[in-house]
Amino acid sequence: MTETIARNPLSVALRYGALSVLAFAVVCPLAWLALASLRPQAEIFQPVSEFGWRTFVPSALTLDNYRALLNGDFPLALRNSSIVALTTVVFGLVVNALAGFAFAAFEFRGKNFLFLLVIVSFMMPFEAVVMPLYVMINSFGWTNSYKALIVPEVANGMIIFLFRQFFASIPKDFYEAARVDGASWLYIWAFIAMPLSWPTIATSSLMLFLSQWDSFFWPVVAASDPNYAVVQVAIARNINFEENNWGGLFASTNLAIIIGMIPFLLMQRFYVRSLISGGIK
Amino acid sequence: MVSSRLTPFLFLAPALIGLAVFRLAPIVIAVAGSMTGASLMGDLSFVGLENFQYLLTDPEFWSSLHVTLIFNLIINPLQLAVAFALALLVFQPGRAIWLYRTLLVLPMAVSTGLSAVLFGLFLDGNLGPFNGFLEWIGIGAQPFHRGQEQALGTLIGIATWKGAGYWMLFLLAGLYSIPSTVHEAAMIDGATAWQRFRLVTLPLMRKPMAFVLVADTAINFLFFAPVYILTSGGPSGATSVLMYQAYLSAFTFSDLGRSQAISTILLLIILMIVALELRLLRSPEDRA
Repeated sequence: MTETIARNPLSVALRYGALSVLAFAVVCPLAWLALASLRPQAEIFQPVSEFGWRTFVPSALTLDNYRALLNGDFPLALRNSSIVALTTVVFGLVVNALAGFAFAAFEFRGKNFLFLLVIVSFMMPFEAVVMPLYVMINSFGWTNSYKALIVPEVANGMIIFLFRQFFASIPKDFYEAARVDGASWLYIWAFIAMPLSWPTIATSSLMLFLSQWDSFFWPVVAASDPNYAVVQVAIARNINFEENNWGGLFASTNLAIIIGMIPFLLMQRFYVRSLISGGIK
Repeated sequence: MVSSRLTPFLFLAPALIGLAVFRLAPIVIAVAGSMTGASLMGDLSFVGLENFQYLLTDPEFWSSLHVTLIFNLIINPLQLAVAFALALLVFQPGRAIWLYRTLLVLPMAVSTGLSAVLFGLFLDGNLGPFNGFLEWIGIGAQPFHRGQEQALGTLIGIATWKGAGYWMLFLLAGLYSIPSTVHEAAMIDGATAWQRFRLVTLPLMRKPMAFVLVADTAINFLFFAPVYILTSGGPSGATSVLMYQAYLSAFTFSDLGRSQAISTILLLIILMIVALELRLLRSPEDRA
């Protein structure tokens, strides 16, 4: 077996050495930010000449930077992002699961063509249509509203695809049996198919949540008004305007990263599996 | 059963209308908009290919196209290579490998925008530790994204930090799909580890590698957030990629026609890439 390579002590050492260096390169900036966000204001600036372990480890840990966030624009940004992301999750699950069910359970004209459109829609990155989409949303009079941030993101080809894959794996007899008992298709979808699909619901929720929590380009274009600034936009603004509240920027950036990371870590397994099935299948 | 013929379409309608309106219609709008002289105020006039003709004579467009192409020629092979190296490193089971795997994919949970902010701080001379470290080991402080020569490279580095673990996952799945019997047979034939890699692994990984390269290229042609956040296209145009030009044209210069013309060009490139991707996924080879 291939194990013989792994057992050679030198190659084991090389492998773990390389992995450790790479893992350090990945984690170091994140760990530095997390620690820096807990620094007292007075210690934020780090003269280039004074590199040492103090560069990473604060002399005292304080939540002052986080407390200071409460008075700035960050709570509003958190609220905006939460409203946008959670609404998208709820509507996105229903709308895309319905479509996925239709592709899996029904035979109808144009099915293959429509499914191809779904696939093309998720292979084409959203950023490609941001500028023309802005022209459209602007003509609807939607700019600077939650509508502009939510509605275009509800229908999602990737999520339709994932639900189709799941629903197609349930034997059709299952649905037919319920049909014979007189259940409507909507009833079958809501009370038979959906409850079975909880792993897909979980990953889809995460994907929809992250797609909104992480989005930057579209919010910058469509909702530039400070009242509708989402977390990413609010943070990006604070790094450019020469603000004095660097501690606040550290804290808000760290918080935004952690909020995105926790659900990812909890559901990593499901998430990765779905992602790959969408790419390779 | 009159309703049953309609049922599928009722289930499909909300999602498909959403995709048609917010994903497909914008393509038409971009093409139509690229042929109109429109200001943000909304005065429209048909100008045919004038916007494109104008673009072709605009040195800023050519310089931006140049930057975009250089950026893509470097970043896509680089990300593929790094992702492949990572996949090979974490492929075989071993002590604590799951931990390394988790750490390496961690940046995919950090948005591109936040990655840019993170490194903006990390690489800053006064706020971050990295330049202090470079001084300490004797290399000396570097300008990174603020330097004409280093800005594009810095953005490539940040994007690779964020993206490599993500693409690794697809290559890892590819490695798992190679039957272990193939490797065993090669070993029995006396192939060395390097020979097995070059003659067995590499050819069988062609498809996942092609997928990663193509999908990554589609994303990187639309690179925007780090440029907007860290460099504003500068210093003196060094990072002014096409997507940023499309944004600037619309929002700084109020030249929507130019913006839509650039968007159309980008969409054309992206649709070609998607077509390539579809062909790749459909090709019947190695369905094993």
